[in-house]
Order: sequence, then structure tokens, then C-alpha cells
Amino acid sequence: MTRRDPLLPNAGIVARREYRDRVRSPLFVASTFILMALALGVALAPIAIRYLDRQTVDTIVVISSDEDLALRTIAVADSIMNQPPPGADPSTWARPYAIERGTDGSAAQAALASGRIDGVISLERNPDGGLAVEYLTYGPADTVRLTNAGFTSMSVGILDWTSSLPPGSQLGQFQTPEFTTRSLSGPTEGGQAVDAVQVASRSFLGTVFIILMFITILIYGMWVATGVATEKSSRVMELMISAASPRQLLLGKVAGIGGAGLTQYAAIAIPAVLVLAFQEPIAGAILGSAGAGLPTGGLTVGLLVAYGAFFLMGFALFAFVYAAVGSFVSRPDDLQTLSLPLSLIAMAGYFSALLVLLDGGGWLARLASFVPPLSPFAMLARLMVSNVQPWEVVLSVAILLASIVLVALFAIRVYATGVLLYGQRPGLRAFIAAGRKG
Amino acid sequence: MTLTIDHVTKRFGTTVALDELTFDVPRGRIFGFLGANGAGKTTTMRVCLGILRADAGEVRWDGTLTTELPRHTWGYLPEERGLYPRMAVLDQLVYFASLYGQPPETARREARHWLARFRIPEYADRRAEELSKGNQQKVQFIAAILHGPDVLLMDEPFTGLDPVNLALLREAFVELRDQGRTILFSTHQMEAAEALCESVAIVDRGRLVAGGTLAELKRTSGARTVRLGVQGETMPAWLGALPGVLAMRPGAGFAEVEIAAGVEPRDVLALVVARGASVTRFEVAEPSLEAIFIERVGRPADDVATLATGAAGDDDAADDDGTGLDRRVIEGAA
Repeated sequence: MTRRDPLLPNAGIVARREYRDRVRSPLFVASTFILMALALGVALAPIAIRYLDRQTVDTIVVISSDEDLALRTIAVADSIMNQPPPGADPSTWARPYAIERGTDGSAAQAALASGRIDGVISLERNPDGGLAVEYLTYGPADTVRLTNAGFTSMSVGILDWTSSLPPGSQLGQFQTPEFTTRSLSGPTEGGQAVDAVQVASRSFLGTVFIILMFITILIYGMWVATGVATEKSSRVMELMISAASPRQLLLGKVAGIGGAGLTQYAAIAIPAVLVLAFQEPIAGAILGSAGAGLPTGGLTVGLLVAYGAFFLMGFALFAFVYAAVGSFVSRPDDLQTLSLPLSLIAMAGYFSALLVLLDGGGWLARLASFVPPLSPFAMLARLMVSNVQPWEVVLSVAILLASIVLVALFAIRVYATGVLLYGQRPGLRAFIAAGRKG
Repeated sequence: MTLTIDHVTKRFGTTVALDELTFDVPRGRIFGFLGANGAGKTTTMRVCLGILRADAGEVRWDGTLTTELPRHTWGYLPEERGLYPRMAVLDQLVYFASLYGQPPETARREARHWLARFRIPEYADRRAEELSKGNQQKVQFIAAILHGPDVLLMDEPFTGLDPVNLALLREAFVELRDQGRTILFSTHQMEAAEALCESVAIVDRGRLVAGGTLAELKRTSGARTVRLGVQGETMPAWLGALPGVLAMRPGAGFAEVEIAAGVEPRDVLALVVARGASVTRFEVAEPSLEAIFIERVGRPADDVATLATGAAGDDDAADDDGTGLDRRVIEGAA
């Protein structure tokens, strides 16, 4: 029979002290306010960009030796490129493009090179009667403009073809079709595919979330490691280890510092989320139109919950290892070197998530979403931008939770040995030996 | 009711830190645990507390294995002093007592009482880093006793204290003993042990070399102490080089000389007179604890040079056993 050391209340007492110690420190308060301001800046950035963008009008010049063709193209391009977003107030909405007639191709190119205009659509009729359309830009063209120019080209082609129909053919007025894109492997919400605008929004949000998760896990993990190393170097650990078990101390420390991290996260995220939640009315008030198409439009409660859950699990996984590492150094200064491998592992998770965000990720990214410690990053990214089956989420979470338990057990053994270990250079071999022997 | 250390063996790799160590500490006594640095004192205390697992043997309190007893049975003052530097003194005292299960309000009241008792009540709300080392040591002592433990394990409690604080701490020891607490403290300061202890255990390289009441040890010791005054010199250096002289220390106008077993005090006197010295005082006294220690261990308790050879029970001796773990480490912590 051995001493019974139930987790509570001691783990709770340790957690409370760690939590208070963190949140009352001036550094914590200052960094929280700075990060809160940054988060609000990010949340408001899309509206600000739209606002600034509203002030500028891109000028596209249409060049053709066929006057009729040129005029028809201007009309079609204007109706396509200056299509108001859904819900926009026509009385206040400003057209983002000015489509103008040009007569001299060389002059138009010179104007493009000097930056006075932003694009040139050049149309000529081929000998076989078909149309040759060229969209000319000075630098690389963005996807939206290329898509619009291509769509304009197609529409002008159809119009041109219909104009060659036999006389007397009855045709209605040309209607600019609605144009959307959809990906079969794209994200779903409640079983329904998410539209293309929201896919783009989620890609933007996913990048923000992954960066936030990567930074916070590293920072809060270092808090844990520094806390353990400081207790050890100040020798207060000698008192602690006789008053509470290593399990109580370690779990209490991770919970307390994790709680402080969550508090900071909440202080940063809640104002930012409120801005995002009310982005449409804010955009409406500032831009004079609804904010449809804003890059944060895809944010949902489900995604926020997923972020919170994967952040907590990711933090727990890393925090236990950080605590074990902290227990193995004699001075907090030594942590920088020893924590480098952990930072590299977190970076691997970060890059696997970026891979997913860039192109949905192949089998490698899919595999990463099941393998801790990459899975918190990769699975969150997959949830943001691709179609994930419920069983995949369950399996990923189950593997992650099991890993956290195993890592915690290992970390407790290392910690129990490490906190009383002084004066030796810590190495991987000693680290593993401590975990094995406990 | 006793604290029984029963054939406890503890190895760190190939180093034997404790070698079948056996002794009893009676309840309600102040017990001196004597040994040089690295003799195994700290390791023994950590085994008692359950921080380390013994490779063999048992430690029992009132017949129950100490690993089965609740943590609040024990109060521990580690040799390495440490507090949370930026935490207020009172807050951390309450924190430590809470870990031992004491209600915060009771802990707060008791802490204030002890801070006043140690003449530092004004430091209650100060950060620990603002206190002198001596005052920090007193705070740590309070942290060890605040929850009212049955057994107090104090590792070198008197190191670094000035005479005033030393006296305060000794008074506290006696008061706690009178309350029925059992106090086991380690030291290599023989004077402190002699002044406080009813019983002692002397360990060397992890083994018990002598134990029992002070009176018994003095009665059975072959060591002798001679108080010798020489005109013009309080502590003549040549005295230490005389055959049969083990150690000497200054007294009030005389030198207190420890002589080896089998050497007669009159032989020492004869050597001094033969050297031409004018003897002003000569007195044969009861052997001191230091003399007994030297007699049993073969060197003074603070003889660091002897330890450098790598004593088997040296807590501080590094010994890599091939696992990569430095055996200065305390492994197997529970």
C-alpha cells in the first residue's frame, strides 16, 4: 500500500497560485492589452481595406478597331465587373471599375506602364470571324480581375455570335448571369457546402487561427517550463515536493498556467469575435453597404469551438513536455536551448496546417491531422477549408487525448526525477532515462 | 511511538548512499542526526518523506510505513533554502499550509503568531526577496511547522543564522518538543547538537557508526577532552601537532584539546611541559560530541577534504551509471 495522494485539492491549490501569479503580473496585463489591440486591428482590417479600396477606382481601357465591338464590350464588362454585392444599397454603392473606350493601343500600353490605368482589354476579329481577346496588365493580375476579364470575354463572344443570327430572330435583352464557383471537396456546414466567398474567408481565418495557435502554444508552453525551472532554481521545489506529489504539482501547474493562457485568449478573442460577429452592420455603417464578401464572413460558432478545443488539447500536449523540460534544467536560462526542438515540432504542425490552407492538402496533410503533435494544427486547418467526415474528427481527437495521457504520465516521471536533479548538463539520453525510471 | 529507520539501503548507480542504516527516534525528542557532508543525511530524510524510494529496508512511524502516512504527518525544512521570491511572506505560508490540508484562516492566524514569535511580524506582507537570508530561513522554518506535523525533519536548520536567530530557533525547537513533536535534525555543527539533543545518530558513508543518548555515548566513549592554558598563547599551533591530539578549539583563555582513546591526559601534559611551555590551566573534561564524532568517524564533521576522495555515501558524488543520469540526482522519486 502506498500513500494516497488524490489529485484534489492540492492540484487545484497549485493551479490557483499559478493562475494568480500569472494574471497579476504587469507583463501579463501589458501583453494582453497589446495583443487585444492587435486582434481588434486584424478583425477590423477587412473593413478598413474595403473602405480604403472604395476610395479608388480601377480604370480598364477597351481597345478595338471595331467600334461596335468595343462599345458592346464596355457595356458587358461594366455589367460584370461593376456588379454590386448582394444586399448592397444601390444609392450609396460606388462602382469599383471605370471601363473606358481607347483608340490607340500604344497609348493605352504607355498609360498602363505609367500606372494611369489598371488594365487593357484588347479585342480583334480573326480572319475566320472569331474574336481574339487579350487582357493586358502591367504586373501579375489578381484572380478576381482575371476571372472577370475571362467572363467578359466569353460574354462578348456570345453576344457577337447572337448578333450574327439570321435577321428576324427574336432575342430577349442580354441578362448578365450570376456567377459563383463551388468546390466538391470544399468545407461543409451542417452537411451543406459552404459557398466560395466563405471558403475564401475561412482560408483567411484559418491562417489567423493557425498563427494564433502556434504562437500561444509556444508562449504558454514556455510559461510552464519557466515556472518549473524557476521553482527549481529558487529551491522552493524542495519544499513543494514534500508537500505535494509530482502528479499534483505538474497537473496543477499546467492547469493554472493553461487557465491564465485561456484568460488571455478570451480577453483577446472576445472583443475580436464581437467585431467579427457584427462585421456586417459595422461594414454597412462605414461602407454604406453590407459587408458581404468580407474575408471573415465564414466565421461560425462551430469553428470557434473547434479552435478552442484543439488549442486546449494542443496546449496540454506541449505543456506537459515543456514542464518535463523545465524540470531538467538548473537555470531558466538553459531553457532556450532545450526548448528549441519543441519549437521545431510545433513549426512542423504549423507548416502542415499551412499546406492544408493553401490547397486543401494531399494525403500527407490528411495524415498529419491524425498524428499528434501535428494534429491540433492540421485538423483545425482541415475543418476550416475542406470537407472533413465526422469519424475523422472523432478519431483525431481520440488519438490526441490518448497521447496527452501518455505524455502526461511520462512527463510526471521525468518531472519527479528532474526537479531534484542539479548540476548536470541535460541531454536527451538522460531525459528519456528519467522518464523510463521515474 | 517511534520513528524507525530499519535497515534502509539506497543506491545511486554504483554509489551506496545508505547502507543498511538502522536507528530509532523516540517520540517527543529532539534527535541529532550527525554526519559530514555527503554522509547520507539528506537522502535519509528524503526516504522518510517518500520523495525517494529505498532500495531495501523500511521507515515506519508508530509501526506504519511512512509511505502510507499522509503528507501532513511531516514537516520538512530542506537544506537548500527557497521561497517564491515575489510572493508575499504570509501568502506563501498560507499556500504551503493549504497543501498540507490546513484551512487558510487557521494557517493565516498561525503564521502571524509564528512571525511575531520570530520577531518579523512586519514582514508578513513583504515579498520574500525583500527579506535577509536569515529572515527567509525563519520563514521557511515556519512553513515547515505551520500545519502542526507530528514529525519534523530539519536538514541543517542552524546553518547561516546569527546568534540571536540561533537562540530563537533553539527555543522554538524546545517548545515544539514540549508540545509532543518529534524533531530529527541533521547538522555537522556539534555544539548545536550537544546543546539541544537528548539522543543522536552518527552516520558516515551511509552507515550508522554510533547512536543513543548523549549520556550513553559520553560514558562509553574512549575520547577525552583536556582544557589546557599556556602562558602567552591561547591556541598554540604546535599543540595540534602533539602525538595523541585529535583536534582543538579555543576556549575562554584556554585551548580545548580532544585526545585519542588510549592516550592519557597526563601524557599530553608531560609533552607540553617538556616543550618548555608554562602551563596555567590543566583540566580533564567530559568528552565533547565533536570528540566522540572524531573518535567514531575518524575525521571532523566539517572535514571537506576527506570527502573529495569519493565517499560511498556521498550525496554529492557524481557517478554516471551509464544511463546518462548524473547520480547526484535523486532518482526514483515517488
